[in-house]
Amino acid sequence: MPEPPIGVGMSSLDESRHNDAGSLNQNSVVGALKAHRDQILVFVILIVIWQLLSWRLGVYWVSSPWGVLSRFVAGILDGDLLINAGYTFTEAISGFLLGAIPAALLPLALRKYPMTTAILDPVMVGGYGAPKLALAPLFILWFGIGIESKVALVAITVFFIVYFSTLSGVRALDTKLVQMAQVMGANERDVARHIVFPGAVPYIFTGLRIAMPYSIGGAVIAELLSANRGLGYLVQLGAMNFDTTGIFTALAAVTCIVALGNWGVDIVERRLLRWRPVADVAMQAGT
Amino acid sequence: MTDAPLLEIRDLSKHFAGRAGRDNATFVIRDLSFSVRDGEFLTIIGPSGSGKTTLLNMIAQIDVASSGEVRFQNEVAPLTDAKALRPGLSCRIGYVTQEDNLLPWRTTIQNVLFPLEVQGRLTPETREHAQVLIRTVGLGGFENHYPHELSGGMRKRASLIRTLVYDPPVILMDEPFGALDAQTRTQLQEDLLRLWNLGRKTIIFVTHDIGEAIALGDRTLVLSRAPAQIIGDHAITIPRPRDIRGIMTHPDFGALYQRIREQVQ
Repeated sequence: MPEPPIGVGMSSLDESRHNDAGSLNQNSVVGALKAHRDQILVFVILIVIWQLLSWRLGVYWVSSPWGVLSRFVAGILDGDLLINAGYTFTEAISGFLLGAIPAALLPLALRKYPMTTAILDPVMVGGYGAPKLALAPLFILWFGIGIESKVALVAITVFFIVYFSTLSGVRALDTKLVQMAQVMGANERDVARHIVFPGAVPYIFTGLRIAMPYSIGGAVIAELLSANRGLGYLVQLGAMNFDTTGIFTALAAVTCIVALGNWGVDIVERRLLRWRPVADVAMQAGT
Repeated sequence: MTDAPLLEIRDLSKHFAGRAGRDNATFVIRDLSFSVRDGEFLTIIGPSGSGKTTLLNMIAQIDVASSGEVRFQNEVAPLTDAKALRPGLSCRIGYVTQEDNLLPWRTTIQNVLFPLEVQGRLTPETREHAQVLIRTVGLGGFENHYPHELSGGMRKRASLIRTLVYDPPVILMDEPFGALDAQTRTQLQEDLLRLWNLGRKTIIFVTHDIGEAIALGDRTLVLSRAPAQIIGDHAITIPRPRDIRGIMTHPDFGALYQRIREQVQ
């Protein structure tokens, strides 16, 4: 969990509300550290339970923490795990961008055409609700077993999630801000650029945050179905060889990539949302 | 100050349709007419719910009227067609709203420069002018703070100079100091009078505080309860420059206050 940034120069203000804000920041830093410690504690407990299970049930069924860790390190050293993880990561990120960018732009472009938005709505709701994994065989049929079919599956999964969160951002637009800007001489383009878009950014990021794990999950599932590379392929390979440790190692790598992706979204989000009150960012980071 | 009206409001009405299309429409404002001279500081006072904000929204052309018109100099602005509205009348009518309505993703200086930016008037001179205004109202050192990092009073000041910076000939103000503590409010009133003395703009200032209406205005209009109509028109004879803190001790103040209070129910 990232530490919330402390407001610059807050302590120099004599107004009491700023002092309040200052002490709140201090508390949230302590809180963040405390939450961090508890997170580590939970992690350790889970590892202990896993180890106990592996003693009780046998390595064949649940592998063991130590076995997975040593295989993980070995996989990184000989490059095998890294190459396959890189392959999955590339699919996920390409699909993520390919799905997220149009999804974030479309509701902004359609803001002035509520009719079109309404006409598209059933299609979008259908697309959002449809199990995208069921599309995987179709994509393999259309795009082959290479990277294209994985990217397509990820892109379509991400698209609908980000579309709806951006749409809610455009709908939550504060009309008073728009009126004020118009009184000051802003035209439609100024309004879109300076008010609608910045206002929708927090909503877009809510969507991106939800979509990120789905993008990696989508890539892995597509690889499970048909691939000769990637972490999904490693899972499949482990399953065929009754290699439980191999499966767990691949899943551990998937988890690491998800963490990496979330971290990336966090960085960009905090850069773009510097203007938000600290409490908001901390709350977001905590979820 | 000339005697020709700069802004004229003629027979302005606003009503909301009655239930189920029946003819019992409720009027918020009915046949309201008044005019403002160039350089005049007009204060309008009325009980809450008397349609003061609606009135300003219509003058600023962000809300439609049911009938009536607004004349600026001799140009007639149609108010009854939502599509024909021109918010701010091509940057000639500024509007300081009740809420500060600062853009939360912009710093103080970016907010103040916003009107200049969209009007394509960002030059070293206008930037310098913005800096001067920021310092004049005591926001120096807070240029790069975001609105949530400012106090209520500071946000109000920022929103005030955001309108002053592009110099519209008429400025509407909707209880801009309503939500502030007495001390901050007095200070902002002093700031406003000082800024007004520099430029002598035409200001229509809406408030529900009789003391504020007298302390700031050249003339005070009193609105009735809805449907709003003008029931009083008082010239404020207290000479300028005025001392806001000591205004209550001026010999004319008591009588004016009494007369206006009797009209504000």
